[in-house]
Amino acid sequence: MWTLVRQESFKLTRKVSTWISTGFLVGVEILFAFLSRIYPQTFVPANMFESLYFSRPIIIFYMIAATATIITMEFQYGTMKQVLYRRYSRGQILVSKWLAVFFYTLYWYVMSTGIALLLKAMLFHHTLSIHQGAGDGMSIFTRGLAISAASLVSLWLLLSVVFLLANLFRNSAAAVSVGIIGYFAAYIVTQLLTILIQKWDWAKWNPVTMTLYPSMMARPGYYQSLLNMQGWQMLLGNFIYIAIFLGIGYYVFNKRNV
Amino acid sequence: MSSILSVQNLNKSFGNKHVLHDVSFDLKKGHIVGLVGPNGAGKSTLMKTMLGLFNYDSGSIKIAGETVTPQKHESLSKVGALIEYPGIYPFLTGWDHLQLFADGDHQLIHIQKIISQLNMDSYIKRKARGYSLGMKQKLGIALALVNFPELVILDEPMNGLDPQATKDLRDLIITESQRGTTFLISSHILSELQRLAQDLLIIDEGSIVQQTTMHELLASQGKQTIMLMTSNDHKARQLLKKAKFEMTPDPRVEVIAKDDNTMPEILRLLVEGGVDILDVQRLEGNLESSLLEVLKQSRIKKRLAEEEAE
Repeated sequence: MWTLVRQESFKLTRKVSTWISTGFLVGVEILFAFLSRIYPQTFVPANMFESLYFSRPIIIFYMIAATATIITMEFQYGTMKQVLYRRYSRGQILVSKWLAVFFYTLYWYVMSTGIALLLKAMLFHHTLSIHQGAGDGMSIFTRGLAISAASLVSLWLLLSVVFLLANLFRNSAAAVSVGIIGYFAAYIVTQLLTILIQKWDWAKWNPVTMTLYPSMMARPGYYQSLLNMQGWQMLLGNFIYIAIFLGIGYYVFNKRNV
Repeated sequence: MSSILSVQNLNKSFGNKHVLHDVSFDLKKGHIVGLVGPNGAGKSTLMKTMLGLFNYDSGSIKIAGETVTPQKHESLSKVGALIEYPGIYPFLTGWDHLQLFADGDHQLIHIQKIISQLNMDSYIKRKARGYSLGMKQKLGIALALVNFPELVILDEPMNGLDPQATKDLRDLIITESQRGTTFLISSHILSELQRLAQDLLIIDEGSIVQQTTMHELLASQGKQTIMLMTSNDHKARQLLKKAKFEMTPDPRVEVIAKDDNTMPEILRLLVEGGVDILDVQRLEGNLESSLLEVLKQSRIKKRLAEEEAE
C-alpha cells in the first residue's frame, strides 16, 4: 500500500503545476500579509492571520482540481490499464489515491500555516501575538488551527464527492465543476437552509449543511442557533457523508470496465 | 512442461453481446505464443480479461496456479503487459516511468539493463511529452519488461517501431524466452510473428478456432520443405529415397519436412554418405495464407453446424 502511496506522491511531485501552485499560494500569503501591514484597518492583522492570509479558499480549489485529476488523468493519458494490471487490487489502488490526496491536503495546510507564522514573525513581531484572545477562550492561533481543521474536514466532504464523480466520468470537468459549485452552494443556500431547518429539524442533516462546519468554528454562537446543531454533530455528519461518498466511489471503481 | 497461464471455459459478455465463448488454452513456460485473428475477434478483450481489467461471466483464469479476477490478482506480479497503446505520463521522463513501475530488488540494475537492450539511452531522461510514436512504444515495452516477469502479454508490440527497433525487440523477446519467460503476442504483422512465435492461438468471433504450433500450422496448410544444393544431387536423392524421406517431384533436391528433426537428420545422412552440402533453404508456408485458410474453414464448419441445428 505504501509503495502505491509513494508512487502517487511521486507523480504529484513531478508535476510542474504542484510547484507553480505552491509558489502562487506563498505569493498570495505574502501579498495579504503586506496589505494587512499597510492597511491594518481594512485587513485586520488578527483576522488575516486567522485566515492564514487568505490561503484556505485557494487550497480548496487546488485540492478539488488535484482530486479530480488524480483519477481522470489516468484515463486521459491511457495509464489506467498499466496502473491496474499489477498485483495490487483495485481497492488498494483507489485507497492509495485517497491517502495521497489526504497527505497532499496536509501538505497545503501545514505549509500555509508555516508561512503564516513566518510572515507574522517577520511583519507583525511587535504588533500581534499569536496568544492574543479571539473569544470563546481561544487564542488567534488556536482559533486559526480549529478553523483549519474544520476546513480540512469539510473540504474532504467535497473531495469525497469529487472522487465519486471522477470515478463515474473519464473527464475531470464534471468533478471539478461540482466540487466548486459545492464549495459555494452552502453559502448561497444558507438562508434557504435556515428556513428549512426551522420548519423541519431533520433537514439539518443534509450534506450541504455539513460544509458550513468551518463557518461554525469561526462563529460558533451564530451558527449553532441558526442551524440548530452542535459542532460535534457537524463533525460526525461530515465523517458519515465522507464515508458514504467514498464507499460509493469504491464500489463504482471496483465494478467499472477499463 | 508446466503452464504459466491456464484459461478454462472463459465466457465474457458486454450486456447482451456474448464476446468470448468457452475460451480454453494453456501457455507453456518459455514459449513465444502468437494470438492471431481478424479485427473484432476478441483478442484485446481476452487479454484485458486475463489481466483483471474485465469481469467475466464464467470460467477460470489462472496464472502460475493462482486465480485472476478484477478484484483479486496478486499473481499479476509475475506478469508484464502492453495493451493497445502505451500509457505515458507526459510530465514524466522515460526514466521516471521505469522508476515508478520497477518493483522488488535491484531496480536500478533492471532499469539500466532494459534501457540498454532497447537502445533508449539517448532520450530516456527527456520528458515523455516530446517522444515520437516509436519512442513511446519502446517505453511501453520497457515498462512491460522492467520487472523481468515470467509472463509477458504484448498487444501489437511492433506498432510504430523502425526496422532497427523491431530487430532489437525481436532479439530481446527471443533472449528472454530462452531464459524461461513466456510471451503472448498479438500482432497483425504476421511476417514478424511468423519469425517469432513457436505456438499459435487462432481466435475468431470470440472462440479459439485452433491452438497449434507454428510448424504444424504451416505444414498443414502447405508443404514445408527443405531445399538443398549439393555436390552430387543424383546421389543425394538416392540416399534420401533409401532413408524413406519424402521428396517433391522437383528435379532439385527438395525434402518435405515432417518436423523440426528432419533438417539435422538429412544433413547428417548426406554428410555421412559423402555428399557435400553447398546450400540449404527452408521453404515454409506463409502464416498469412495459412491463417486465412484456417479462418475460412472454421467459418464454413460453423455455418454448416448452424444449418444442421436449424
